[in-house]
Amino acid sequence: MSQPVAEPVPHRARTAGSQRVLPAVLGLPVFLWQAVFFAAPLVFLIVITFWQVKSFRLEPAFVLDNWERVLLSSPFQRALVHTLTLSAVTTVLALVIAFPAAYTIAFRLPARLRDLAVAALIVPIFSSYMLRIYAWQIVLSPEGLINTLIGHLGIDPLPMLGGAFSLQIGLLTLTLPIAVLILVFALSGIDRTLIEAAENLGCRRSRVIAHVLLPAIRPALLLAATTTFLLAFGDYISPLFMTGSKPPTLSILVVDTVKSGSQWPRASVVGVAMLLVLAVVFGLGRWLGTRGTGKGHS
Amino acid sequence: MSKPADPKAKNTIVMPPATDFSRRSVLKAGLAASTLGTASLWNSADAADPKVLNYLSWPGNADPSIVGEFEKQYGVKIRIKEYVGGDQMMAVVNQSPPGTFDVVLADAEYMHLLKAADFIEPLDPADYPLKDLWPEFQKFPLHWFDGKLYGVMLDFGYLGLSYNTKAFTPKEVQSYSVMWSEKAKGKVGFFDWYLPSMGCISLSNGNRPPFDLDKAKFEALKKKMFSLKPQASGFYTIADIFSSMTNGRAQLIPGIGEWITLGLRTSGVPVDTIIPEEGGLQYTESLSIVKGTSKRDLARKFIQYSLTPRAQVAMATKVDNRKSIPSMPAWKLLNDTKPQEAKLLRMELKGPNVMDEYKAKKIQLRQLPKQQSIEDWNDLWSQFKSL
Repeated sequence: MSQPVAEPVPHRARTAGSQRVLPAVLGLPVFLWQAVFFAAPLVFLIVITFWQVKSFRLEPAFVLDNWERVLLSSPFQRALVHTLTLSAVTTVLALVIAFPAAYTIAFRLPARLRDLAVAALIVPIFSSYMLRIYAWQIVLSPEGLINTLIGHLGIDPLPMLGGAFSLQIGLLTLTLPIAVLILVFALSGIDRTLIEAAENLGCRRSRVIAHVLLPAIRPALLLAATTTFLLAFGDYISPLFMTGSKPPTLSILVVDTVKSGSQWPRASVVGVAMLLVLAVVFGLGRWLGTRGTGKGHS
Repeated sequence: MSKPADPKAKNTIVMPPATDFSRRSVLKAGLAASTLGTASLWNSADAADPKVLNYLSWPGNADPSIVGEFEKQYGVKIRIKEYVGGDQMMAVVNQSPPGTFDVVLADAEYMHLLKAADFIEPLDPADYPLKDLWPEFQKFPLHWFDGKLYGVMLDFGYLGLSYNTKAFTPKEVQSYSVMWSEKAKGKVGFFDWYLPSMGCISLSNGNRPPFDLDKAKFEALKKKMFSLKPQASGFYTIADIFSSMTNGRAQLIPGIGEWITLGLRTSGVPVDTIIPEEGGLQYTESLSIVKGTSKRDLARKFIQYSLTPRAQVAMATKVDNRKSIPSMPAWKLLNDTKPQEAKLLRMELKGPNVMDEYKAKKIQLRQLPKQQSIEDWNDLWSQFKSL
């Protein structure tokens, strides 16, 4: 007896269901992870901005006092301006230093050295940032390495540690390797024929950079800028250990606010304000990235 | 805070029923979560374990060199929960279920807050060798409320002006006014805690006691503080005070004392501490029994042990944080067995010692603000830092 032959299922019909289900299944852990460890704490952070502290104890309530006390206070306003300024300065400095470095690594170094340079940028990211800052303290301190060396030359000690200079050194220690890496990868991916074409048409190096390279890596430049800004904006270690909290940044203010009478609600207000600033910066970066490209997204 | 479900498991935090999603229950769940976040890395089994003494204390106080003998003698384990700063301690206390801790070590000025929170219980003075303490400390005012004893002094120290001995002479630092000198510009470091730092600035403004200020005096303190800002090198955590004094970034620091400079000096760093003519502050660390402990006897024995001469000497000579001790028999033991340490710690029985400043009434007790709230002083400190 012959067996009935099963009707072949069209490929499209067989996979239509799995095309919908599989991505959902694969994406579920990430979604859950984000929901439990990001969205829920974020909601909780916002909720406790309305709570109050009585005798060092957090109590559910709905008061606007925390927002009022924080946003209208001069320490918060000064810390906000200071943190925005130093993050902006770090971003500009990082890009100004990172671009030539990335250009050299991507276009000038032979392949083997390029790999070594990339490795040299990656390795510090995996070392302790705190340890690197302590190392800078040893180098920059009044009785540190540099001052000891120049002391032998009869030069008076330089006040390097504890000000804007040392703070930027610390923040660039954190951000610069990442900025350079982003730009190296972007420059490495550029179609070389475009550069050759520009050069064949008589463009000088500066013109090639301005009119070919920079437009081609604009999304990467914005990514490097926003990453640098975000890291500098939220950093706690450099402002604390390179300047001695003088003046405090928003991150330091968060810690101070918790230390002072366990004011978690007020610290949360500062935290939410920081997140709002970062959201604005991120949105701005995204808008700049898509502007003029004719795309709704990058 | 949620009530424990089972009296045997006192530190179990009960979450609201899964089906109850009222606003109140969500808030309670959040509060429970926040409590878990701060206090509950603590193992709940230890609270009930008769062989474990749960000790809420500043870091380092359960070092084997200090408590090892007690653990051996009673066959128990001291489990320490560390905090840094009185406010943090109060937060832990207020967020911990009853029975979590058996003994607490607190800076004496926080003792009335601990009592107000109903966290500590009265002690029987007869249980402790109070007569062995220096007479000045036998009826220590911050330990007694309504005629009842709530804490026993473990150690103490003075806070004045610490300075770099290469940059400043002892004569120059006789007065806190040196902090405003041209020479000190950008060299005055601050321990980032309002209480000792503002206390010393208050002393420099002639306030005795330094924490009991009326409105005018508080305003004057604010002015005085703000005038000091151009001199500031930075605001340091405890760890960074060590490095900033070592690398010369801070050459004058008010509100700290030998507990920091003694260790540095023995490591060769040119620093010292002086009690300026305007006076200094005394910090006092005190032991109390936590209300609701199921191990009251063990807690009492631990406090008794901590006041034995051997334990006191161990506390005084802690390498990382040397202290002054209140027990006279312990001073004798220190002088008999470690005369060099006795000299270094200024605890020699013959000759000048740390009690001299106390007798000369140069020392004021570190206390919480009397006429303003803690928050007012903290806010002023935050303003000062942000200038």
